[in-house]
Amino acid sequence: MPKCDMPPGSLVLLILRVLRSGTLHGYAIAQRIHVVSSEVLQVEEGSLYPALQKILLKGWVTSEWGISETNRKVRFYRLTPAGRKRLESELSDYERVHAAIRSVLRTA
Amino acid sequence: MNEWFRRLQYLLHRRRFDRELANDMEFHREMAARHGGAPFGNTFRLREEARDAWGWTWIERVSQDLRYAARQLRHSPGFTLAAVLMLAIGIGVNVAAFGFFNLMVLRPLPIRNPSTLLRFKRRAPKSYAYQMPYPEMAFFREYSKTLSAVIAVSGAKLAIEGENKPLVAEFVTPNFFRELGARPALGRMFDPEMRASDAEPVVVLSREFYQRHFGAVPSIIGKAIRLNDKPVTVIGVASGDFSGLSMDRPDLWLPITQQPYFVTGSHLLTNFSVDADGVTMFGRLQPGLAAVAAEGELKSLAAVLHHRQPADIWENESLPSYPGGYAKNLGGGRHGTGTEQSDEAYPLIALVGSLVLLILAAACGNLGSLLLARGVARQREMAIRKALGAGTGRLIRQLFTESLVLALLGSASGLALGYLVLRVLLLTAKTPAWLNAAPDWRVVLFSIGIGFVAAILFGLTPAFQIARQRNRATRTRQVLIGAQIAASFILVILAALLMRALNHAVSAHPGFEYRQVVSIDPGLAAHGYSASRSRTYLNTLRGRLASVPGVESVSMSSSPPLGNKKVVTGLDIARRSVDVHMYGIDPQFFDTMKIPLQQGRNLTPGDTHAVVISRSFARQWPEKDPLGRPFQMGDTNFTVVGIVGAARLVALQDPDAVEAYYLAFDSDLPSMVLLVRTAGPPEGLVAFLASLAKSIDPKVFPDVQLMKSSFRRKMEGAEYAALSVSLLGLIALILACLGIVGLVSYAVANRTKEIGIRIALGANPARVITVVVRQLAQPLLAGSLVGVFGAAVLSQLLRRQLYGISNLDPIAYLGAIGVFVLMVAVAALLPARRALRVDPLRSLRYE
Repeated sequence: MPKCDMPPGSLVLLILRVLRSGTLHGYAIAQRIHVVSSEVLQVEEGSLYPALQKILLKGWVTSEWGISETNRKVRFYRLTPAGRKRLESELSDYERVHAAIRSVLRTA
Repeated sequence: MNEWFRRLQYLLHRRRFDRELANDMEFHREMAARHGGAPFGNTFRLREEARDAWGWTWIERVSQDLRYAARQLRHSPGFTLAAVLMLAIGIGVNVAAFGFFNLMVLRPLPIRNPSTLLRFKRRAPKSYAYQMPYPEMAFFREYSKTLSAVIAVSGAKLAIEGENKPLVAEFVTPNFFRELGARPALGRMFDPEMRASDAEPVVVLSREFYQRHFGAVPSIIGKAIRLNDKPVTVIGVASGDFSGLSMDRPDLWLPITQQPYFVTGSHLLTNFSVDADGVTMFGRLQPGLAAVAAEGELKSLAAVLHHRQPADIWENESLPSYPGGYAKNLGGGRHGTGTEQSDEAYPLIALVGSLVLLILAAACGNLGSLLLARGVARQREMAIRKALGAGTGRLIRQLFTESLVLALLGSASGLALGYLVLRVLLLTAKTPAWLNAAPDWRVVLFSIGIGFVAAILFGLTPAFQIARQRNRATRTRQVLIGAQIAASFILVILAALLMRALNHAVSAHPGFEYRQVVSIDPGLAAHGYSASRSRTYLNTLRGRLASVPGVESVSMSSSPPLGNKKVVTGLDIARRSVDVHMYGIDPQFFDTMKIPLQQGRNLTPGDTHAVVISRSFARQWPEKDPLGRPFQMGDTNFTVVGIVGAARLVALQDPDAVEAYYLAFDSDLPSMVLLVRTAGPPEGLVAFLASLAKSIDPKVFPDVQLMKSSFRRKMEGAEYAALSVSLLGLIALILACLGIVGLVSYAVANRTKEIGIRIALGANPARVITVVVRQLAQPLLAGSLVGVFGAAVLSQLLRRQLYGISNLDPIAYLGAIGVFVLMVAVAALLPARRALRVDPLRSLRYE
């Protein structure tokens, strides 16, 4: 199973993106990214939680108590309107940079 | 909800947030374990890293550092005590000096609305005056729209039975007490509506006078007392904390409209002349207006008044205003022509400020080297903490936190010490009771601020050195010692200069003989005496005085020697401006004051255009021999006819003062002071002379003074200054010596092995001591050079207070250097002797 390091700065984008489809708890966020990326991307807890704190501080997500699938009380994170806006702008930024890198790789 | 709000919320609920985070991670670990994922990392560390995002971890670190610092300081109480003591001294003298500055300049007087109170001066392109004629003030009071109230104050001396000295009285406008919000301790104050001078004469006593003279018996209210032999009813006693508007500590206040009743013949209320007595004018600004508005209005009013009184109200007269509600801007009644001398207070403030900062520098230097020495002992601790993963930055922060804690303790004790010092100072200087030494928020803030500065001065470099475990600590200590030596050197030299000046002033001949002279000031001008009536009075009194057995000579002068009256005229001599002290005298003056005539001739009766100048003034002239040269003062042309010895009659301490004497004009006669030289000691004659002076006109109350006492009063200030600076110098010297003891002991301890080997090889004791003391040579040399240079620069500020001693006086400098070398030698050799007692065998086994 090949593991790749996350490109810097993209973790916040990924967290916001997986939360767009619904509220998730911390472990589920990591799992979701892991699974959807076909097990290429591995989110370490050492970077997940600081990133989550930063997102909370910025007001892009809020947290609420919920019950996990194992019947345990745990915090679920929900995207706020500000977070949604942030996701849009980060996505378009990402697309632009990505396209630019691609065109350089293709032609240079 | 913005970011800062969330951040603050996190701070307030950080325990809950932390619990939630821990729960998240715990859950994460359970799930990971269940799915056989990678083991979860160190939860504590992860939590700390996650918390970092909220930006509050520094608080935790600071409180950690503080706890650690407190523990460290508790563990070495000796060091802590020494450090706090040293800081308390360094900070304490600064707090005391700032406290005084605060009282004088920053803290408003304890009166109602001090901020809207202005004090007015008179100014014209060529003249200035601190007081103004009463009618001018009355004109402004009547027509001003920008001032809601005008207060006038005029000082006077009044006689009362049962007191030898005249009372200090203030004639004030009746609105004085109400405008200043003063409440009576007893009885009532003046009725502001009181108008006519025909009302019953009334007086309000100061609390201090009420206690001193009347034994605080309340039944005095409503009774009549006699002032200048005039009956007057006591209506009230002011409370003890009422400051009034002067530093004079008046014994009583009287309505200014009744001034002519007490001072018979006075024209105060009607006279426009600048030479006559005037009043100090204060104004209360209308709400919402700025001082500029009032100044502009008064200037145009003055222009109107100038048309009515062209002789006395100056052309282009303006009325600059000063804050009236502060202690520094009170008092003073000078007037003169030409540009006004700059405020003498500022160089003094600069000087005192530098002196106390030097003490702080010496204390910080000492503490810094103490910290470095401690750093050597803490090398092990530092090494362990580094090994446990503390970064250099973190160690520096930790060490500096310790210094900050020390500085805070030093600030607190310095605040207490400064309060004590200031209190003692105020008590010994007999300042008014309302000058309260208790620190206010400015002083507290200042002491915290200066503690912080001190922490940077003494703590930052050692923190870097210790944390990096550099072995350059010795070098830094040398710099610190050098700084201390420089600081204490400056203080010791200045102290020596002041001592020399004091000694010189007391023992050296001031150019005139005052010990057997009595001055009699009849104050004729205040009683409205005309020139001719004054002449009759003075001639009669002179005749009677001259016939008293034991009186050698009688003369008079418009400004009495050693008095407080100064008449200074700015003259352009050879395109240089010279301030000349002018004296209107009679021909006997030089004989009475024993000022030798050196060249030319004395003034003779009828010499209306002749002037005699002092030798010091003659030196300012471009010509070698100023005799016969013209000399213009005001509109009169004089010719120099004689040169007398230099005699700084009123400005003893100012070496730049020069004198010129002219035969008193008729207009000078009402303000003449008689000078009586006695053959023997004058003390026995004073009472008789006083009764003689009194007998000529019972309405006049002459002030009779021994010139000896006036001289002593003038010296008090100099003694005070010399004593305080010597004390500061001593403290700084002791601090520097302690620093040297520390440095040398450290050197001995550090080189025990080397010394042991040297002794074992038979080195002679002098060589061994030289080795140890050698590292003192550099800082000592550098420090002394900087010190001498600094003293030479700083003493410039003192020049006018040195009674003619040069600020580079070699005797003072050599004396200071002598004392210094002696102290430093003792401080260095005491610990160095230990080097000789090193046992070679033991020292080789050491370590």
